[in-house]
Amino acid sequence: MPEEVAGGLAAADKYYRDYGSRARELKKGGAKIIGYLCAFTPVEIITAAGLVPFRIKGDVNEPITKADTEMETIVCPLVRSCFDVSLKGKYEFLDGIVIPHACDSISRTYDVWKYTLNLPYSHFIDMPHGTGEPSLDFYKSLLGTFRTSLGKFTGREISDQDLKEAVGLYNQNRAKVRELYQLRKASPPLISGAEVTKLLVAAVSLPVAEATRLIDSVIKEVKQRQAAPAKTARIMVVGAEVDDIAFLDLIEDSGAWVVADDLCPGAREFFADVAVTANPVDGIAERYLRKIKCGRTFREKEGSYDDYLEERFGHIGRFIKEFKVDGVVLYIYKYCDPYGFDVPAMKSYIESAGAPVLYLEDEYSMSTIGRLRTRIQAFLELIAK
Amino acid sequence: MKGQYFAGVDIGSTMTKVVIMDEATLASVIGPTGPEHRKLANRVMEEALGRAKLAFDEITYVVATGYGRINVPFADRQITEISCHARGIAHLLPEVRTVIDIGGQDSKGIKLRDGRAVDFVMNDKCAAGTGRFLEVAAESLGVSLEEMGRLSLEAENRVEISSTCTVFAAQEVVAKLSEGAALADIIAGLHEAIATRIYGMVRRLKIEREVALTGGGAKNIGLVKALEARLGFPALLPPEPLLTGAIGAALLGRDIVKEAEEKGEKLKISPRRLTEATLFT
Amino acid sequence: MTEEKKPEEKKKRKTATEAAGKIGPMVKAALAENLRAKEEGKPIAYSFIYSGYDEIIRAMDIVPAWTENYAGICGVKRDAQRFLERAEGENFSRSLCTYALCGLGFDSWREELGEMPPDPPWGGQARPTVMLGSGQVICDPRYKWYQAAQHYMPDVPVYVGGLPYPPYEEDYDYREVQDYYVKYIVEELRGLVEFLEKHTNRKMDWERLSQVVDISDRTWNMISEAYDLRKAVPCPMGTGDAMNTMVPMTFMMGTQEGLDFFKDLYDELKRKIANREGIIPDEKYRLLWGGGLPSWFALTDFNYFNSKGAVFPAEVTYRLVEPVYNLDLPRVSDPLEHLAWRWVRYWTYRHDRARKRPGSTPDVERLIEYIEDYKIDGVVMHEAFSCRSWHPGLIWQLNQLKRVYRDIPSLVLESDIVDISSYNEADTRARIDAFIDTLEAVKSR
Repeated sequence: MPEEVAGGLAAADKYYRDYGSRARELKKGGAKIIGYLCAFTPVEIITAAGLVPFRIKGDVNEPITKADTEMETIVCPLVRSCFDVSLKGKYEFLDGIVIPHACDSISRTYDVWKYTLNLPYSHFIDMPHGTGEPSLDFYKSLLGTFRTSLGKFTGREISDQDLKEAVGLYNQNRAKVRELYQLRKASPPLISGAEVTKLLVAAVSLPVAEATRLIDSVIKEVKQRQAAPAKTARIMVVGAEVDDIAFLDLIEDSGAWVVADDLCPGAREFFADVAVTANPVDGIAERYLRKIKCGRTFREKEGSYDDYLEERFGHIGRFIKEFKVDGVVLYIYKYCDPYGFDVPAMKSYIESAGAPVLYLEDEYSMSTIGRLRTRIQAFLELIAK
Repeated sequence: MKGQYFAGVDIGSTMTKVVIMDEATLASVIGPTGPEHRKLANRVMEEALGRAKLAFDEITYVVATGYGRINVPFADRQITEISCHARGIAHLLPEVRTVIDIGGQDSKGIKLRDGRAVDFVMNDKCAAGTGRFLEVAAESLGVSLEEMGRLSLEAENRVEISSTCTVFAAQEVVAKLSEGAALADIIAGLHEAIATRIYGMVRRLKIEREVALTGGGAKNIGLVKALEARLGFPALLPPEPLLTGAIGAALLGRDIVKEAEEKGEKLKISPRRLTEATLFT
Repeated sequence: MTEEKKPEEKKKRKTATEAAGKIGPMVKAALAENLRAKEEGKPIAYSFIYSGYDEIIRAMDIVPAWTENYAGICGVKRDAQRFLERAEGENFSRSLCTYALCGLGFDSWREELGEMPPDPPWGGQARPTVMLGSGQVICDPRYKWYQAAQHYMPDVPVYVGGLPYPPYEEDYDYREVQDYYVKYIVEELRGLVEFLEKHTNRKMDWERLSQVVDISDRTWNMISEAYDLRKAVPCPMGTGDAMNTMVPMTFMMGTQEGLDFFKDLYDELKRKIANREGIIPDEKYRLLWGGGLPSWFALTDFNYFNSKGAVFPAEVTYRLVEPVYNLDLPRVSDPLEHLAWRWVRYWTYRHDRARKRPGSTPDVERLIEYIEDYKIDGVVMHEAFSCRSWHPGLIWQLNQLKRVYRDIPSLVLESDIVDISSYNEADTRARIDAFIDTLEAVKSR
């Protein structure tokens, strides 16, 4: 079995910059790699099948070219970038692709991914948007179909025991990330926002146990640090998927710390565990359908409208308090439906939670990220005490 | 604060402005921004010092702002044009709560409360809400940019321009001209279109009176009228709309020095040299 | 729609059929009816077309307000900009669905004023009692739009029910999963009934529902048979008219009026065929509208195509039915179960056929079927920049069609459903002209 690189931030940097390098090594050693998009893919099931889940990542430095011949430009720019670099051969080691029904940009391009990449395995999990009992039952059935399908692909049924072990590994992994986040509460934080994102992105490209060891090594390394210079403000970034550090660097180069987030990879996917249930599929279904707080999930309103906002965005309010956040940056991609529609409600909630909000719309490209510099600097000037 | 002088340098995408102040403005310089921001910054500073009859080392604090603010090597601080415009208007027109700045290549809206910026919106991606829109259209029509505003007021039957894209709009006006529409009517339509874009952006701030217009666009009488029509009430204009940012920058410099004196802190000052910047500084 | 535009531009679109010509007044009457119903205190439900709820809504005497349609009307009347701008002012991105932006702009304005915005197109849209979204695969705005609208109407309840359908996959067949899809859909439809009973003080009359479902089945058949008549040469009715006749198909499904409309259309088309009456006297090119919602403010483009000798005997857009007798539905007594099976079988109708052609998908099979049955010379697709549901995949479908079937001439038009600033008439006409040249070149080979 190929050796993993020694840990710490240096390793995180290597896996981030040479994204997929570990998967490539594992493939040479005989492993099968399954690419996936989005935090809503049930990676526990893929791991339980003995396969290695690999989160497909885009590249803000790579202009989108090849993707345009098959995929419309009105699709989320992150999805387009992921598709573009896939077409350019960056993930040639993939044996399969799994795509959940997150949003239109992801679900309506499934055919394009499937037929263009033409991998030995492909599967679409038609996850419902609702969270009621019928939706949960339906989703469990879908997961059952997925489980059977993976079993056919590997030639070996996935047992309940396999699932329970995988669940255990992922719960450990997520707990480790939560431990890391505690280090961000310090004033100043022991680890920067860019470093956290880099580490988490690197982590989702690795098999889960290796990811946990990597994060653990970073926690140990970072705890040894001397106090960092004080900066002007403690910022929280809220958005959909941010798999590149460019934007976080922009904020932190402007003199602020990014101390908290509601992003993926980020708090969104690591602060919700799978409950240990007799039938392991139940706990998995519950986590993905109900526990992850994301705009693609429709929660029913019970009670007043304020209660409803608290139900949908309360986790942001709690982080603002726990991490002593001075300002929130809403970082939303153009063409993003799940978050685009939520902006007025989110802005209103966050402002009433006591934090000023900077709403930025971006197109996931270095050429557009640069012009955000003035806005970020202006926001930091505005909120300075 | 006797004997203290403050300089504000505003390097915009189209125009560069420098202001030197003590209690009032002593000197101001406005010139076109070219590609060489550093050389330009040096040159306009020199000119301003000449007009103010001051030596450079008499300047207590220099604040740079605008698109090219990182290219002012002698600046003691860089502050965004949002904060600077807010500070400038708070000084010039204290009753203003909303500022609309229309530049050559960008436009902004700024919300003020108690003399400070509390919210803002910017458009620096799309030419359609900026001076560039009129520039391109003027070229297509064979009219000078300076005349556009005046001509728009002569319209009797304003033409509607539906394209929000600068390039398409330019095509559209040529087509309308060949269909026989009056020049003044078309130009009024263009002003209406740009006012609509700007208004659409600024209303995200929940516009409150009084509203001030700044930047090059505020010198275009046609655009001012078109915006006032959208607002539904008159807007205020500072005496020289192009200098608001530079004035604000100088004043912020004064605020910084005052606060440092009160706290007994020492401020970091850049070398008072106007030498040619090389590529490697 | 045969609509009058603003005074500066009196462009009436000519319809080929009398049936399509009735639509404008029909829609106007329906909107006026809604406003009256509101005054009378009847429950109004904001609804999306083709969400599977029609029969339930009709059976319970609830008045649907088709919000996509209202945005379309604003678009046709070229009066959507002020609503789009208002939505942008609320911080909604311009890249979102322009139907939703128009609706959100309108609603937030109405709520702020406490009355209709000034001079609203056709009297405006009344404040609803409930809002019915759907979580099916069709599109994101169907579960986000009304949730966002609730920010301006916090007391108006929102229901989102899921109506998914089995995807076309290699690792399993739809028959292996259809049972749990049907089960889910039935539960969601039952949930809709409970929601409506709770919030509108109406009770479901299950007998009535069975009758409404029966009318709806017969309407599906009638529409299919009428549209099949368009296979004739010369073609008696084109996509331009179909963009009108989609109104009773989607707004009046389950009503006698809707069924009667299509019976009349069927009869009219039969007459035209007997008299060899085509859309245009000199039909040179037969085109398929392969996908994409039309630009509602530019339906006159179909007349432009006609002026070049091109007609559209078939379209994929808004052809939302198949003959029910072809769907091989199990006999069930529960009308909700029947609806669920009809839904699932409609969406899996061409799965088996696709399996027979390597590389094909049900969508591609549908294009091929229409190309062959309607004697099609070329395919037109419309990419509307704000619609991420119907439009992603169109380029790929076109490419795949050419890869697995044949290299047929094609044209991709671009603009938007409602936002007129995206539309460049000169450019569009130039593209159409070039396409006609291509068709002519292929024909004369």
